Amino acid sequence: MSKEVDAGYDYQVPLITGNQTFSSITDKISSIVESKTSKEWALLFGLASSLMMVLLGSIGYLIWEGIGIWGVNNPVGWGWAIVNFVFWVGIGHAGTLISAVLFLFRQKWRTSINRFAEAMTIFAVICALVFPGIHVGRVWAVYYFFPIPNQMDMWPNFRSPLLWDFFAVGTYFTVSLLFWYTGLVPDLATLRDRAKTAIRKKVLAIFALGWRGGNKQWKHYELAYLLLAGLSTPLVLSVHSVVSTDFATAVIPGWHTTIFPPYFVAGAIFSGFAMVMTLALIARRIYHLEHILTLTHLDNMNKIILTTGMMVGYAYSMEFFIAWYSGNPYESFIFVQRAFGQYAWAYWTMITCNVFIPQIFWSRKMRRSIPVMFVVSIFVNIGMWFERFVIIATSLSQDFLPSSWDYFSPTIWDVSLLVGSFGLFFTLFLLFIRHLPMVAMAEIKGVLPQADPHHAHEGETH
Amino acid sequence: MRENMKENQKQYWRSLDERADTPEFREIVEREFPEGASELKNPVTRRNFLGLMGASIAFAGLASCRRPVEKIVPFVKAPENMIPGVPKYYATTFTQGRHALGVLVESHEGRPTKIEGNPEHPESLGKTNIFTQADVLNMYDPDRAQEVSLDGVQSTWQAFGSFWKEQHAAFKKDKGRGLAILSGEFASPSLKKLYDQLKKEMPLAAWHVNEPVSEMNMHKGLKAATGKSVQAYPHYEKARVVLSIDHDFLGATPGNVSANRGFAEGRRTEDEHDTMNRLYMVETSFSVTGGMADHRKRLTQGGLEVFTRQLAAALGVIDDGAEAVESKWMHALVNDLKKNKGASLVVAGLRQGAATHALVFAINEVLGNNGVTVDYYDNPDVVLQSESIQALADKMKAGEVKTLVILDRNPVYTASSIDFAGALGKVEHVIALSSYWDETGHAANWHIPMSHFLESWGDATDVRGNRSVIQPLIQPLYNTVSMTAFVNFIVTGNEVKDSDVVKQTWGAKDNDKNWRRILYKGYSASTLKPVKVRARSGAIAGLVKASSVSAGKPSTSAMDVVIQPSSSLYDGRYANNGWLMEVPDPVTHLSWDNAALMSTATAEKLGVGNEDVITLSAGGKELEIAVSVLPGVADNVIALELGYGRQKVGRIANGSGFDVYGFMSAPEVYSLSGVSVSKTGRSYPLANTQDHNSMEGRPIILEADLEEYRKEPEFAKEAVEHPPLVSLWDERKYDHGYQWGMTIDLSTCSGCNTCVVACQAENNIPIIGKEEVKKGREMHWIRLDRYFKGDPDNPDMLFQPLGCQHCENAPCEQVCPVQATLHDEEGLNVMTYNRCVGTRYCANNCPYKVRRFNFFNFTNSYPETIKMVQNPDVTVRFRGVMEKCTYCTQRIQEAKINAKNEGRIVADGEIQTACQQACPADSIVFGNILDPESRVAKLKKQNREYKLLVELNIKPRTSFLARIKNPNPEMETVA
Repeated sequence: MSKEVDAGYDYQVPLITGNQTFSSITDKISSIVESKTSKEWALLFGLASSLMMVLLGSIGYLIWEGIGIWGVNNPVGWGWAIVNFVFWVGIGHAGTLISAVLFLFRQKWRTSINRFAEAMTIFAVICALVFPGIHVGRVWAVYYFFPIPNQMDMWPNFRSPLLWDFFAVGTYFTVSLLFWYTGLVPDLATLRDRAKTAIRKKVLAIFALGWRGGNKQWKHYELAYLLLAGLSTPLVLSVHSVVSTDFATAVIPGWHTTIFPPYFVAGAIFSGFAMVMTLALIARRIYHLEHILTLTHLDNMNKIILTTGMMVGYAYSMEFFIAWYSGNPYESFIFVQRAFGQYAWAYWTMITCNVFIPQIFWSRKMRRSIPVMFVVSIFVNIGMWFERFVIIATSLSQDFLPSSWDYFSPTIWDVSLLVGSFGLFFTLFLLFIRHLPMVAMAEIKGVLPQADPHHAHEGETH
Repeated sequence: MRENMKENQKQYWRSLDERADTPEFREIVEREFPEGASELKNPVTRRNFLGLMGASIAFAGLASCRRPVEKIVPFVKAPENMIPGVPKYYATTFTQGRHALGVLVESHEGRPTKIEGNPEHPESLGKTNIFTQADVLNMYDPDRAQEVSLDGVQSTWQAFGSFWKEQHAAFKKDKGRGLAILSGEFASPSLKKLYDQLKKEMPLAAWHVNEPVSEMNMHKGLKAATGKSVQAYPHYEKARVVLSIDHDFLGATPGNVSANRGFAEGRRTEDEHDTMNRLYMVETSFSVTGGMADHRKRLTQGGLEVFTRQLAAALGVIDDGAEAVESKWMHALVNDLKKNKGASLVVAGLRQGAATHALVFAINEVLGNNGVTVDYYDNPDVVLQSESIQALADKMKAGEVKTLVILDRNPVYTASSIDFAGALGKVEHVIALSSYWDETGHAANWHIPMSHFLESWGDATDVRGNRSVIQPLIQPLYNTVSMTAFVNFIVTGNEVKDSDVVKQTWGAKDNDKNWRRILYKGYSASTLKPVKVRARSGAIAGLVKASSVSAGKPSTSAMDVVIQPSSSLYDGRYANNGWLMEVPDPVTHLSWDNAALMSTATAEKLGVGNEDVITLSAGGKELEIAVSVLPGVADNVIALELGYGRQKVGRIANGSGFDVYGFMSAPEVYSLSGVSVSKTGRSYPLANTQDHNSMEGRPIILEADLEEYRKEPEFAKEAVEHPPLVSLWDERKYDHGYQWGMTIDLSTCSGCNTCVVACQAENNIPIIGKEEVKKGREMHWIRLDRYFKGDPDNPDMLFQPLGCQHCENAPCEQVCPVQATLHDEEGLNVMTYNRCVGTRYCANNCPYKVRRFNFFNFTNSYPETIKMVQNPDVTVRFRGVMEKCTYCTQRIQEAKINAKNEGRIVADGEIQTACQQACPADSIVFGNILDPESRVAKLKKQNREYKLLVELNIKPRTSFLARIKNPNPEMETVA
């Protein structure tokens, strides 16, 4: 970049650098999918799928033996499984936010990252959905959750937040998947047109839904995309709000608080952006996408991380304030315990990762330093996992009656499921970047200077 | 009844193979049980058998080890009044040493499942203690000894029979020279008759009596003081002031049923104008009785004896009390006792010396208590321990014992401090009768498996002389012999059925109406009158003079050790009982282990903490044991519990805890001094079910002194301030029909743990093992919370039994996604196990944390016999489902069905929950809260009534009655 100006708001500052043309974009991105499997990819895929096998093996053992293989106990009925669930749902937030909300706000810089942010969303939600399914005591009876009409007139309990969860996350997943797929259609058609073998052509043809790039098709496409974006936007807010009601509607001190919905949404966006950042930086490096995923994009994302990080920081302090202000002795006790009790180590890990470390992004230099942002994004991921752990474990372990207080210690199976879920996530992600265009080619072309009818061709003189 | 019993038995077959009638099985039958084989070959009988018994498949498999049964026929003629699914109750007697408790045993299709108190038996009045509740599990213990063995090799009763007949004849000729018998204390007409017969026919034979947890000093002291061999029977209900000198009469002590009942009677208050008793406790360790005390003082073992002498001196019982009474505490106590002459009571525990017990008798006499608050009985049926087991061991070592018959004792374990096993080596023939092939069984030549009391005939007499019959509910599951039949055989050399021995003693004939009545009622009322005994001051003074005492000054380098029975395993006899092994000790809350208990200050001085392993050494003996810090134990004293550290009993007992018997200086000596302690640097995991001992200032157990209560009668209602409670939903009214509710009186609950085990027995609650308990997954539906309060060195101890509170506005119900937990019309919070998916959300949202989750399939690995102890009225839960207290919904349903059939409504008191029925203090009351005449409704109107966590607007149906203490106002000035 020649000019040190923040991009995103100004059409004059190019979002895509390196003198790209429509065909160079197509070539660049399609070649990742079409070239031979690289050794790096094979290595990573081997690693990720091994971890996925750890997940599958652990799930098998879990179903065989029972929930007892985890560290959960009587006061702490939910352990890492639910922490992981909330963590992954949170990760899944950035995709829709980037795709839908930024789309509606005409944030053109989103185009470079939206495709794989969306993919990340879907995979994260898949990982999240694994956990509610397996964390129940009787997996084989899990269909009782479904509102299936039956002769006994037995329905699920519509007052239970777990049921709301089931619908909220299910809806979110469905809409995110549709949204992602809709955006993929033009690019799938591009790949189809470039396909060299008959089978590949046929398969891609099926998924490209007969896309020909005609004007009418583009018109319908854009409308559909806009509508889906509109549909997805409330979901960004709703899904984690609903997840937060799992806790907020309970009577347990530390859970029973109205701040949870906005706090959880902010936290979700925070963690989602951090995960997008982590993944984007790796993909950018491996596939040399520096010109498409520019420092400007990363800078913008870091600003969002800084903002949402401060929002969760505010929520943490507000929780403390309310705990004291409410005069509820149980509530204030649990917050003092969070900071200074048996789980203080987890609490301060969370505060450090989520509140202190992102403050480094006040510095523009740090915002634009690849190693710094990579490290920070990892810390935020860790911190947000701990946030959920702190909420669940501290509140349950020391509730109303001291006689039942107990400490939660994870077992090897708790760890293996968390690690394994990353295996599942990365396996899916690696399959995605290998087989589907990880950057939205059609949309990128839309933000190239050439796409602007008023384009003065000065870009070529860069 | 006996006839019914026999009929009942016949529905069992020996195994599934038998049911299938495979050729292989026929072969086995013909080889092993020739007399039964012809029956199987008879097609008609077999067809009937199979046809009628198909429904009872659950009982299959039981039988492989049974004794040959003469006939196998089905219920061609069903026993009278036997309706499948409707349990029957039979009266029998539970004994523990010299104590007897009349019980009613619930029997489902011939299978005893639950022991309850016999409401008519004067000692029980329908109540039980923790051991009674758990004993039924012992009968079904798959680790019981099942066959006669000789030197560890399986043998037969016939072989033993011919061996003993020879021996018996020889001994008879020799007047019993070289024969020794070792038994426990007993109070039984039949056994006493045989005891007397042996003494008469074989005067040279020795009959030694030993209780590992021995009250010998108590007997000796009383004998010295009165000149007679009498047993004391305290009437706690009549005492306004009780002083207990290290006597845990409310805890796991035989005889605690009437003690709890009596004490609770004296303590219960209806309103602020009521009076209540006052309890002073001086003790070394911290017992549940100490927790109940209004004033408690920690003293060392020697200090207790000095204290007793000072007290005696202050009351003018002895005049050589040179030490002046320096403490204000003593002054206040003495004044209080003097003020309540004839209405006070002093009792002393088994660790105290004979002199102390003699002094206690004299003190009670001076206070005019004898004959009023404590009676003395000279029971002709009782045989008490009069000398140490050391005497027997000495005889054995001297080669004076040729044949030793051990009757249900385990001296190799309990007398290991004097190397009883070594002494056994000097005995030619060792014959041991016991339920388990235990440490003594291994060392014996002949081991005879003993029948459980539910399989036996026998009789027993309680302290006050009420004679009762032990009648069997089931034929022995294995090739076992009852105590009565065995003792009869040993003494007479004739094999007589135990039923005949008992009938003979009672002079009963088969169609004797009176006998049938006794069997039906379970007992025949006492004709024994309390004896009038006077203190023989000379003898007492002599005894006091003979034993010098000093308070001692234990320090961390020379500590005191006191040894007490386990509150669950007692002397170790219940070590293989899973319910008792797992039930947390009420005071320490340890499960599956015993530990070295010491005060916080002592632990700090020693530099040890929970789970650290220390080595105690004294008198050349060493004991490695884990530490558990228990505030309230006297400083520089370590309290140890007996009964653990077994090696050769069964899967539950082996390897659990530490064996303390070996560390004792001698049997029957329950204290040590000059014990040195060293750290090993290792640690040993202890499963403690309550990690946090403080209420954190929360209004959980509400408590007031009587004076405060009188000033502020509504203190319990006003304890919690909260904003107006508004519900999110339209609330159900619950204003018609039955509305069930419960009250628990915290004033009278002593923390004896009986309710916890009763609930476990009634509701098929699994045991889960130490590892799982340690993880915090214990399954008890009702738990006994214990909190400490006040001075961390000498705290108050408070108990609160807590089951599901059946909130009308239940937080668990709202969050269950599949409606597996719901409210019924009668206000019960019910669980639908089939619908439960196991999200555990309900447990998380339960503010009382009383919901229990089946983390594993805990019931899957049950041995066949354990399956038989399950209550058929209660579902056995599978893994992955939540469970919790149901207010014994099966009992509610049963009563409702009965009432409906009879066209009436359920009467108050007709339904008793298992915890309520067992509670010896009658602290738990259950009933219809809408019926203004019901006991529970009346109790709920008391001003002490409060509900836990009322500020959450969850409207629990269980109320607590606040705990009232009655401290001596004079004591207030005492530090």
